[in-house]
Amino acid sequence: MRFTTTAAAALLLIALPSWCQAQGKLCDNPRPMQGFKTCADVDKAEAEGAFTLYSTDPEAGQVKLLAAFNKAFPKIKTSYVRLQAGALYAKVLSERQAKSYLVDVIQLSDMGMILDFQKRGGFRQYVSPEMAAFKPEYKSQPEGYWTWGSIIMGGIAYNPNNVSAAEAPKTWQDLLDPKWTDAVNVKVSNSGLQHGVYYMLKPILGDDYFKKFAAIKPRAFDSYVQQYGRLVDGQDKIIMGAQYSGYIEFKAKGAPLAFVFPETGVPAVSETYGIVADGPHPNAAELFMDWFLSPIGQQALSEALLLHSPRADVPAPAGGVALKDMKLLVPADWHEFEKSRPEFAKEWDRIVGARR
Amino acid sequence: MSDSASRIVVSDLSIRYGEVTAVNGVSFEVGRGEHVTLLGPSGCGKTTTLRAIAGLEQPAIGTISIDGEVMYDAIERRNVPTEHRGVSMVFQSYAVWPHMTVLGNVAYGLRVRKLASSELSAKVERALDLVQMRHLADRPASKLSGGQQQRVALARAIAFSPTVVLFDEPLSNLDAKLRAEMRLELRELQRQLGITSVYVTHDQEEALAISDRVIVMNVGVIEQIGTPEQIYNRPRNRFVADFVGSANLIRGRVGKPLANGGTIEFMADGGHVLRATAPHALRGGETEVAVRTAYIEIGKTADANQLPGTVRRRMFHGDFVQYVIDCPLGQLIVRRPPTNLVAEGEDIELSFSPEHCILLEG
Amino acid sequence: MTAPVKGWLRSGNHWQGAITLPVLLVVAFLVLLPVVFLLEESLNTGDPMAFPPQQYGLANYAAMLEEDLQVIVNTVVIAVTATMMAVVIGFTLAWILTRTNVPGRDRLERLMQLPYYMTPLVGALAWAVLASPKSGFFNQVWRWAGGEGDLFNIYSMFGIAWIMALFEGTVAFVMISAAMKSMDPALEESARVIGASKLRTALTVTLPLVMPGVLGATLFVFAEMLGSFAAALVIGIPARVYVITTAIWDSTLSYPPAYGRASAMGLALFVVMFAMLSGYRWMVARGSFATITGKAFRPRTMDMGRLAWPLFAVCALYIVLAVALPLAALLLTSLERFATALLSQAQFTLANYEMALALGPVRTALANSLLLGLGVATVGVLVMALLVWIIYRSEMVGRGAVEYLVMFPQAVPRLVFGLALLWAWLNMPIPIYGTLWLLALAYFTVMLPIGVRTLAGVVLQVDKSLEECARVCGAGWLYQLRTISLPLLKPGVIAAWLLIFMASVRELGVSVFLMGPNAKVIAPSIVGAFASSGIELTAAMALIQTFTVVVALMILFRLTRGMTRELT
Repeated sequence: MRFTTTAAAALLLIALPSWCQAQGKLCDNPRPMQGFKTCADVDKAEAEGAFTLYSTDPEAGQVKLLAAFNKAFPKIKTSYVRLQAGALYAKVLSERQAKSYLVDVIQLSDMGMILDFQKRGGFRQYVSPEMAAFKPEYKSQPEGYWTWGSIIMGGIAYNPNNVSAAEAPKTWQDLLDPKWTDAVNVKVSNSGLQHGVYYMLKPILGDDYFKKFAAIKPRAFDSYVQQYGRLVDGQDKIIMGAQYSGYIEFKAKGAPLAFVFPETGVPAVSETYGIVADGPHPNAAELFMDWFLSPIGQQALSEALLLHSPRADVPAPAGGVALKDMKLLVPADWHEFEKSRPEFAKEWDRIVGARR
Repeated sequence: MSDSASRIVVSDLSIRYGEVTAVNGVSFEVGRGEHVTLLGPSGCGKTTTLRAIAGLEQPAIGTISIDGEVMYDAIERRNVPTEHRGVSMVFQSYAVWPHMTVLGNVAYGLRVRKLASSELSAKVERALDLVQMRHLADRPASKLSGGQQQRVALARAIAFSPTVVLFDEPLSNLDAKLRAEMRLELRELQRQLGITSVYVTHDQEEALAISDRVIVMNVGVIEQIGTPEQIYNRPRNRFVADFVGSANLIRGRVGKPLANGGTIEFMADGGHVLRATAPHALRGGETEVAVRTAYIEIGKTADANQLPGTVRRRMFHGDFVQYVIDCPLGQLIVRRPPTNLVAEGEDIELSFSPEHCILLEG
Repeated sequence: MTAPVKGWLRSGNHWQGAITLPVLLVVAFLVLLPVVFLLEESLNTGDPMAFPPQQYGLANYAAMLEEDLQVIVNTVVIAVTATMMAVVIGFTLAWILTRTNVPGRDRLERLMQLPYYMTPLVGALAWAVLASPKSGFFNQVWRWAGGEGDLFNIYSMFGIAWIMALFEGTVAFVMISAAMKSMDPALEESARVIGASKLRTALTVTLPLVMPGVLGATLFVFAEMLGSFAAALVIGIPARVYVITTAIWDSTLSYPPAYGRASAMGLALFVVMFAMLSGYRWMVARGSFATITGKAFRPRTMDMGRLAWPLFAVCALYIVLAVALPLAALLLTSLERFATALLSQAQFTLANYEMALALGPVRTALANSLLLGLGVATVGVLVMALLVWIIYRSEMVGRGAVEYLVMFPQAVPRLVFGLALLWAWLNMPIPIYGTLWLLALAYFTVMLPIGVRTLAGVVLQVDKSLEECARVCGAGWLYQLRTISLPLLKPGVIAAWLLIFMASVRELGVSVFLMGPNAKVIAPSIVGAFASSGIELTAAMALIQTFTVVVALMILFRLTRGMTRELT
């Protein structure tokens, strides 16, 4: 049967590279570029002439980020696919299954999927000279498979025009008040940040917290743009697990918004980047990673998507609180985090009414 | 082309649609230049037979040859496609192509045959002249009246000089007056061109008027083949007597033969004895005679069957007068010319000759 | 024309076989392959990412009843509500426009096509702008005028059904008015002569006579509503109302993906929709052939006197609700920084259009959609015409099966079909995944039912003897096809072409899964913008799409005007 041979070949593909994972080595002679260093063959990258990013970030921001890269390397045309983490990962896996390689670099906001992909041998190891600036917990062991591109955190947001500061929730527990019934929105179960919020808060707030939370009937949306949009136009009053970068973005546009950092802390997850094995433009992918992880790339990301860089030498996005001033709740064991995903997805679907 | 006497030979033809047998063992021949009509009520298989000759239906059994060449043979699995049979056809719906002009329609068969343009236009003109449509040659076919479409269909069918033309009820969509005119023209054309034709109609008047021979069909089988006169004067059975023309059917039983000329004695129910003609050899079991309504005279005639009667109803039809007459044989219908009218209620004598009193096959 | 198989072989008429056989094989392959994959996946109870499945079982079907009962109930309630509304609207409009002397009848009838060009996606976006609680334009105006609370809430089951009825229900109008047009007006007139009032005539004569047509339309529309996606996506998810299509969407787009659940739901929907469509077909086959072959009736209408203007108002109201208001709302929104109906508060800007046009991918997506529309419509119509000919005019063995085969894609919800196509083509040694070619093949496959049905309508109206006559005149099959059949079918071919073009440009369901980074199309991009870029930008994109399609159609109409005029 054709199908069985395909499957066998796919299994081999998954299994082989994971045996060969080895300590990565930096190239001998990184080439200095405008503001960053690279081990990539720039001429080859430009000859490839194209670069494809799969990412979970909103399209408008992605376009800006890729435009900045394209400005630095006009010969490399960029394209992207934007989907929520779960959908994006499912798409990539299907493509790899069929040996159809369209993507060069992938960004996922769910570390569970990142680890799964690494286990499946989906990443190609490339040690960027810029990786030295990232803390060990922000990159793969051995390094070069994946690296955190940014840190995102979720708190509580409300519209002061509709909710007074006195009335507004201060803690996560305050959200269980029945007065918020039908007035709270969250992200769909596909979201990596929402998974982080659930995973980190459940042990702290108790097992029945989310059962009670389901009673106020939260509505689930695909992206923070919809979430904040509904807050601004008054359709919802509160965002639970509100993405901070979205708050900065909307606030800067003049939207009436307030953000609460509960004392308990704000769950934080990463947006993680890695080069996909067998991508169509391997040199361009390396060049992109070097550029992206450098201060200029991180600055471009901060400007395009208002995200916090994991690098200490890149400032917080304009108008945002710095990382060191937040109490971040970061999962300690990403493997545990990954294992909890199917249960989270089912439970979250129930909470938002997508399943019984 | 072969020298066989017949243009078309159909033998043992059967056509089925699933479970239904539309045509069941039909055989006939059509001679060169002969005009044969398939006549019968709707659903009798006449159109199906015609379409089988054209190659538009596939028979289950039988053979069809045209000009000595086998066009269809069920056993040899031979089936010459329609376009290679060299026949032409006029459809009941005319099938005039609305997206072409009159000229485009008529020239179609010639263009298919890749004729040189000079020859083509000569032939088209001749065909259009024959149907008196030359002045409308450039008109879009969708802008024609029914009669004009009929003429275009006809011109198209004859333009490429086919040897065989098939007509599928070509006049049935015309009004009565136009139909009568076209009938004459058709007959005229057919004589002029010397084509062989097979014509399908359910109109017995039409069939009798324009045919050299008529084939009467019913429920997929042939009831009788003969010249119009034979069909009219010597109907073979009750169906033909009833379907072609109008006839009185009288029940009874056969008595003894009277003479060599086929005259017999017929004991009608009710005791009256008639002298009748038996066109076929007696087989026993015959129970009916037929007398054409037009062949019964009012008044006494020598050497004829005579019986008394009373006029019950009289209906004036213009070309003839129809009487319903009570007589010892029951009620008889009599058609007479509209002269010497007889009043309702009047007692009269009826007479009809033995040769018009036809014994039907049982 | 009825040349049977053995006939061709013997007579050397190879063309027919050489052309029809490959076409049939390709179509069967395109249609059946995804369905096979779907069936296989629905029985997959093991790792959802494994192809082929490592474990088979019925767990997915059992889970559907256990976990998704609410979803099924929602689906049925919404589909029934929407169908009823669509049929009532369709019947009323059809009756007014075919049986009464309402003023401006011809123009109104042409306007009735507009909701179709709007597309359910754009319609749903527009109604989200119009009737959202709090921020909806209606509610803003209501509160501005001193009202309390919200007047309308589109984020409800009724709201979803309303949008479906408005934008997907146009097909009910088309079908019912076709049934009414084929009815002999003498039947109505005789009721009037006997002394029945106009209303009584409509209820006691017109309604029962067109009942088979109405029932057929009801079944057909119901099947459409069951598989409808756009409105349920835009309105349903914010309303916390999930239907089967959005549940499928959800389970395929999550990790780990619930492909088994999605396939099981998809197949369940397929069975129900297929039954509906078969029922519809059976009704059509039984009822309307008499009307097709019957003589053409001179259109005669009832004089409604003073009632004519109120009837006009009913039609106008429909146009306002389905076209004018939605377009106006989108236009206003797209020109504002924050959507508001209160002009005094509005901050006008062209930034949304600048942004939409600056999004390179959006530009290429629109260009890709137009390209696909042109390509699929042009090639598709030719192949479909051939299929129609095989089904209705040849005597090929198994042509009835072909007819059913061609209907298949209509019964599979688009979304599910897209997923199935993805699996099917990912596992194909032909590397077209991620390219426009795959989208083109997918569009062709899902457009088969609509294209074939449109063309069949025309073929059935063309008298068979027109073709037979060509053969009798000596024309071979190809010559006859070229000179007679195709020219006669031209008006139908043009109509089918337009339908397929439109349906391709607006295609959402299958495109979602088959788009690649370099092969994007417009409808999913609009949905993406709605999800991640705010309503103002989305409105601008929706309007750009609508405008581009209208311009493209106008150019096409101009180009083909000479051709269409002579034939219509």
